[in-house]
Amino acid sequence: MDDHDRLECLREESRAAWWKKIGSSAEMAGLRHEMDKELKQPGEHPDPSLGITRRTFLHKSLLTAGVAAGAATYGWFPLINTLDLAYGAEAFRFAWVSDSHLYPKTVNTRFVDKVTRAFKDVQAMSPPADFLIYGGDLAQLGDPVELDLGADLLKEVKIRKVFIPGEHDWYLDMGAKWTKLFGPSNWTFDHKGVRFVGLDTVSRGPDYWTAKKMTPKERMGHMATLDGSVAGAWAGVGRDQLEWLNRTLAPWPRNKPVVIFTHNPLYEYYPPWNFWVRDWREVHEVVKPFTNVTNVHGHTHQVLYNEVGKMRSIGMLATSWTWPYAPEGVPALTKCKVRVDPGDPFDGVGWSRLTVTAAERVENEYVMWRKDIIAEAPWDSGCADNINQVLSPRIADREWPYYGAYK
Amino acid sequence: MKSTRYALAGLGVFLGLLLVVTGGTDRALAHKEKHTPEQLKAFEDVFMEQVKIGDLLFHGDGATEKRLNVTLSKTGMACAMCHPFGSDNHPYEFPKFQEQMNKFATLRDMINWCIEKPNEGVKIDPDSDAMKALETYIYWSNKGSKLDPGRH
Repeated sequence: MDDHDRLECLREESRAAWWKKIGSSAEMAGLRHEMDKELKQPGEHPDPSLGITRRTFLHKSLLTAGVAAGAATYGWFPLINTLDLAYGAEAFRFAWVSDSHLYPKTVNTRFVDKVTRAFKDVQAMSPPADFLIYGGDLAQLGDPVELDLGADLLKEVKIRKVFIPGEHDWYLDMGAKWTKLFGPSNWTFDHKGVRFVGLDTVSRGPDYWTAKKMTPKERMGHMATLDGSVAGAWAGVGRDQLEWLNRTLAPWPRNKPVVIFTHNPLYEYYPPWNFWVRDWREVHEVVKPFTNVTNVHGHTHQVLYNEVGKMRSIGMLATSWTWPYAPEGVPALTKCKVRVDPGDPFDGVGWSRLTVTAAERVENEYVMWRKDIIAEAPWDSGCADNINQVLSPRIADREWPYYGAYK
Repeated sequence: MKSTRYALAGLGVFLGLLLVVTGGTDRALAHKEKHTPEQLKAFEDVFMEQVKIGDLLFHGDGATEKRLNVTLSKTGMACAMCHPFGSDNHPYEFPKFQEQMNKFATLRDMINWCIEKPNEGVKIDPDSDAMKALETYIYWSNKGSKLDPGRH
């Protein structure tokens, strides 16, 4: 064996050890493009009545509302997120806020300030929204102090409020505090011709903590690390909830609108960051008979829109911080959010105003506290600026005792 | 015969002085011997150790910060919370004019800016072990990217 062969042998041993440690990620990689193949069968697409408005325009009434509220808020209808709900019986609006990731005020008040601004905006909506959906990750580390703080801030909003959990809310005490404050983690209600469903995509993560004798804080720390490997593929709907969803939708007319709120997207965008649910195949099997399904989700902290099978998915902004687009996903990104200023905590974040109009349209309006949301020039784009980028998964948390979780 | 002995002695003195002047046998031979696979693997291990330390710092590991006597954040935020897998760091674009600083900046300048501004931590010595480790992790996590210095 010459020197080159010996070096290759040494390297191969290292590589084998590495792949042994990250076997689950390798499996994910193999799954990544299966969804496209399975769900994009010929003729499989959302109902044609859900026409997307291929224009971006400034909505004057919203600009006026922004001025009236005393905030420099501009309302934009980005081209990627306007759709029809053909059977909306009556005009109404609702609001989405999520991913505030609150720390106790003793750690920082930055996130408090931002979600407070969003709540004030929601409360100032005129005409008022029919309800607010808070889409999860109210807290950063599931600390009761953080959840109590969030519950207190939510008092700013006087309209009806509904809640679904995020993983950051859940894994310190396995949802005990969150459930006490906000009730069941899944639910359904009908409102003016639309069946709304709240699904819990966070609480059914496989047990990665018991065998390793993790403390609740260690469990939470790994769950809170987006690019960590220890918590694994935790996002999922679960068999019990799938059966519940099936029962919930069974009596609903097949052509009437269904809006499903989730923390994680109900498709496979980027599993290493849990930008998916692992049982997306089963979810799509349940909703397959319905022609008018919209999934509104959090977790991805970015401007995002996708169509898979008969379902449309719209990703919401966070109020805390924005995330870069994943290095790969399904499908290829087309229209992207702008590059934001990392020196301005209020840039690149926000909330969403969703309107069901009298013309039976639902329009999602990202309220990002800046003028431009979608980039036009490549040098201002949040995805075009990554054309030279190749990324590797992190490494330090792959070795016991799993260093590198947030503490 | 006697003159030959003097010549050899002179040569010995000369070689001795040469070794002293050039810093010793090890240094003289360091890059003249063929590298063994074990040596190359050892070099890689040194590098990967720095990657792991940088990864820990990048992900807010308090024990590593304490060991290296640095405070990278006072807000609870860690670098990786905005840069999962080291994304959007663009280390391959430095040095370049950096808008936020309004100056021509290196990657180390940018790391310190992030520590000081968004993270509200304490700037670190640009030549410190912590900076070298952070820089190493950021480069490693972006390996294979296209070098494109100066690009906005």
